[in-house]
Amino acid sequence: MWKHDTWVKPYLKQYKFLLATVLFLGVLTTFCGGALMFTSGYTIDKSATRPYNILMIYPAILLTRAFGIGRPTFKYIERLRSHNWVLRVTSNLRTRLYQTVEQDAAFFSEKYQSGNILGLLSEDIDHLQNLYLRTVFPTVVGILLVVIITIGIGYFDWWFGLFILLLLLIEVLWAPLLSTSIEAARRERQKTLKDQLYTELTDNILGANDWVLSGRKADFQKTTQTTINQLNASKLISKKFGWQRDFYLQLVLGVIFLVLIVFTNLHFTSTQAQANYVAAFVLAIAPVDETIIPISQGFEEYPMYRDSVKRLNQLHPTPQKLPPQQQLAPADFQTLTIQNLQFEYDATTPVLVRNFNQTIQRGEKLALIGPSGSGKTTLLQLINGDLAPQKGAVLVNQINVRALQNNRQQLFAFLNQQPFLFNTSILNNVRLGNENKSDQQVRDAIAAVKMQDLVESLPQGYDTSVQEAGARFSGGEQQRLSLARILLQDAPIVLLDEPTVGLDPITEHDLLQTIFTVLQDKTIIWVTHHLQGINHVDQVIFWNQGQIEMAGNPQHLYQTNAHFQELYRMDQGIIH
Amino acid sequence: MIDKRLFKLPGIKPLFKMLAGLTVLQAFMILFQAIFLAKVLVLSWQRKGLSQLGWLAGAFFLAFLGRHGLTWIKNRLLDRYATKTTEDLRQKLLAQVYTTGAAMIAQKGSGNIVTNALDGMDEVNNYFNLILSKFMNMMIIPWILLVYIFWQNLTSGIVLVLVFPIIILFMIILGYAAKDKASSQYAEYVVLSNHFLDALRGLTTLKMLGLSKEYTHNIYQVSENYRKKTLSTLRIAILSTFALDWFTTLSIAILAVFLGLALMNGTLPLYPALVTLILAPEYFLPLRDFASDYHATLNGKNAFQQTLDILTIPTVTDRTLLPAFTWNEQSRLTIQHLNFQYDNTTDQVNLKDLNLTLQGYERVAIIGQSGAGKSTLLEALSGFVIPQTGNIQLNGHQLPHLAQDQWQQQFTYLPQKPYLFSDTIANNIRFYQPTASNEEVQQATEQAGLAKFIATLPQGLQTRVGEAGRGISGGQAQRIMLARAFLVQQRHILIFDEPTAHLDIETEYALKKTMMQLFKHHLVLFATHRLHWLEQMDYVLVLDNGKIAEQGPVKQLLQKQHGPFFELTSHMRGVN
Repeated sequence: MWKHDTWVKPYLKQYKFLLATVLFLGVLTTFCGGALMFTSGYTIDKSATRPYNILMIYPAILLTRAFGIGRPTFKYIERLRSHNWVLRVTSNLRTRLYQTVEQDAAFFSEKYQSGNILGLLSEDIDHLQNLYLRTVFPTVVGILLVVIITIGIGYFDWWFGLFILLLLLIEVLWAPLLSTSIEAARRERQKTLKDQLYTELTDNILGANDWVLSGRKADFQKTTQTTINQLNASKLISKKFGWQRDFYLQLVLGVIFLVLIVFTNLHFTSTQAQANYVAAFVLAIAPVDETIIPISQGFEEYPMYRDSVKRLNQLHPTPQKLPPQQQLAPADFQTLTIQNLQFEYDATTPVLVRNFNQTIQRGEKLALIGPSGSGKTTLLQLINGDLAPQKGAVLVNQINVRALQNNRQQLFAFLNQQPFLFNTSILNNVRLGNENKSDQQVRDAIAAVKMQDLVESLPQGYDTSVQEAGARFSGGEQQRLSLARILLQDAPIVLLDEPTVGLDPITEHDLLQTIFTVLQDKTIIWVTHHLQGINHVDQVIFWNQGQIEMAGNPQHLYQTNAHFQELYRMDQGIIH
Repeated sequence: MIDKRLFKLPGIKPLFKMLAGLTVLQAFMILFQAIFLAKVLVLSWQRKGLSQLGWLAGAFFLAFLGRHGLTWIKNRLLDRYATKTTEDLRQKLLAQVYTTGAAMIAQKGSGNIVTNALDGMDEVNNYFNLILSKFMNMMIIPWILLVYIFWQNLTSGIVLVLVFPIIILFMIILGYAAKDKASSQYAEYVVLSNHFLDALRGLTTLKMLGLSKEYTHNIYQVSENYRKKTLSTLRIAILSTFALDWFTTLSIAILAVFLGLALMNGTLPLYPALVTLILAPEYFLPLRDFASDYHATLNGKNAFQQTLDILTIPTVTDRTLLPAFTWNEQSRLTIQHLNFQYDNTTDQVNLKDLNLTLQGYERVAIIGQSGAGKSTLLEALSGFVIPQTGNIQLNGHQLPHLAQDQWQQQFTYLPQKPYLFSDTIANNIRFYQPTASNEEVQQATEQAGLAKFIATLPQGLQTRVGEAGRGISGGQAQRIMLARAFLVQQRHILIFDEPTAHLDIETEYALKKTMMQLFKHHLVLFATHRLHWLEQMDYVLVLDNGKIAEQGPVKQLLQKQHGPFFELTSHMRGVN
């Protein structure tokens, strides 16, 4: 997996200097901790020989203070620097993820909207931050420390150096790798169980009313119990492993202490001047455990990071093959021609559009009615050139729409089921329609969609934030703001994808009234699921399984077609 | 820091005593470890041979192992208690969901409760583990060590005693500073950190507006702003850790100097000086451990409080006042002066002074604008919410509310968006009657007009649906609910809350024929804003703003050319 990775490795090469500083500071922090104990031990041992002059221990005292201040200071800087590095990389990763998904925007609903893939991808980037902060940095720092300690002791005795190296490698390499290999499968299973528990709890809570009505209280409590027991059992094994491992890591550290005691006793007892270093060497090892014991714990998270890296590396945008691009001034638009259109996402999915033909003149309004999942939205995406048909073509005047993608927003405007409002001010949201418009023009658009009174009654008026996903406003109001956006965009063709779904009939009626008033001179293709407001269009198409079931002028159909009449009566609630 | 309700948990007192005992033992192990190490180092300093160190080094090693072994035992003990207590809480939480159901879920938000029951419980578990072990360590270990240090060397003891409150004071001051800084930037911070996901979710809209490519630059800029803001907050937020480290290391450095000077003056032998130096970091360690996990405990504490808050919501009592019965043609439910409000801290009354009688196999339509109280009325009739006042009589039994086990097993409830359990279609259909045979389920499937759809599924009735299963269209989901209603023939009441609001006209048309079959021999309560259903109804309730504005037989109201019913229906049809 790491061999073809493009989401982690390349970024280690970025901001190399900053990265080196981070690692250097990390080493320095622990080094200062050890050195503080080293110089303190030396100061005391040296003082115990009762030197006649304080100057004899003065350098050691100075160093003790320096290391005492150095340790917290370096740690502080290191934490800031490491976050700085990681967040810089994050900015790049986010930009890259956005660009990747952006190339795929046409297949957005197909690829990304099911489940919570966007949320997962965005979390993956957060996971990468932790991969660096909790696993990569501590491990590298740990290994560098091992090298320093080994050299420090090997300088005096080669064999002792080697022995200490082996013991330390158990702590920083062997134990972490062992942890990962033993825990990986178990963590995987815990994740599966946790997902399952999530599903079961959701069933319990969202389906609470049904449970109460069923009277099955015992079953209700039993559903989650098995999963919880399995999950807890597995977690307990993990915890037991962790406690045991941490104990053995400490045991190895205890052995290191003993080795140092023997080492100093053998090497530093020939003269008193040497013996003054005994406490120094032994005590210096104590602060090291704070750095090396957590490495194994950091490695336990590795399976999660691995999944994230895998998911990111698997992102491959579907390449778009566009013909040479042409220009068409919006004012020149005359006819939209759909010729023998045929489309399926791939061979395994049903054909969504089958040999469809239609011509729409400038200013004409067309409604398209059909059950959900029948490919109505896909048809709109074919019309504006987001998707390429397998057969046939959509022509604007005589130009293929796929050749008009560069300035598409000048020709097509789109209002979908849940238009997206960004978490910024009302003014900024509406202005997205056309960023060259003045504040006054934006306000006029808001007035045209009858939102003026409401917006002006808010304490911050047009500068009020719409909040996340437009939460401040009701569904109908959100649609009105998006409609204002389209007015600013001022494209000759407007595609409406069920803009009133989920609204109550009175709100729906009022909104449709506004839509068809302000878009009076536009060409409209309107996907809808029932007949409310059908009198606004010139032509209605009943669409099912990729084909036309019934089509015609609504007034004409009402007079000639019994099925249409029945549907219309039902929709209007006209009672015989 | 510690929620007092923690001490009221069952079994916590014996645990506390046990832990305290083990912690005291551990403190002595730390003490012995230091004593033997100091003795070894003194001997080495005196240039004694390895043979004389032998048993002391061994004793050091044993004390060292004893200390970490005790950690293992404490962890095991704590974890057993934490897991058991957490599971008890989770069970109680689920029982609460079952007994207080819809009203509580509406108040707290379903997502909230799922999160609380899942991740919240992990945090609570973690909270118990951390707060009990780290807090206990901090309250016991330093003070035992301090007594020994005082005994060895008075000056060192005084230095260490003085530093402790200074550290705490600084951490509190810096903690507040960080909190102020963080809270002043919080709103902006949240916007920045959610911006990326916001942009990903709005990508389709950006693409439609022709802005998606330009927006890449924006992603990078905002991410960089986020980095700068994070760093400036972090600079202050980690100051308290810095202060803690700074004071600890510096007091060790100062101690070394003090001890050195005392040694030089000959007022102190080497052993007390060394043992004090070794014990100094141990004295601060519990405080540092506690501080580093402080934030983790905050999350746990919040989750714990939230859980207890949910558990203290009063449960519905008197659920079994009604004897076993079956609704039939002679049954009668009378409601007088019923009042209900969701939130009794506001003036908003959701149902006001309702009077109505339901009897036999009547079909009652409930109509009104959105927000008029249609769903609330159905919830009150189903016993999902408990009215504050009102006189309820069912077949002559006086009842305080309709959350009666016997009543709730009389009806089937069809919401706007039915909830499908993540289980097979068959089990979803037999949800109210798990003992139903496959033949009965099959028959219900046919009655509900679902058989043709089921036949297209490779796994037929065994196809899994819901959260973890196959996505299913709104129309098919409603049909599964209808099959459930067909299956339970002994339930003679149907409660429908706008079941066709989200369906397209042709699906609704097809579904209507099936539903009409079901209406026979049932009391039907049908909230809708699709007026064509009136044709199938006997009686109508017109709700406006929580009140019954008008009620009467459908035929009678249809004749009137004025009044609430006339006005509402004209408005809904878009006739002004």
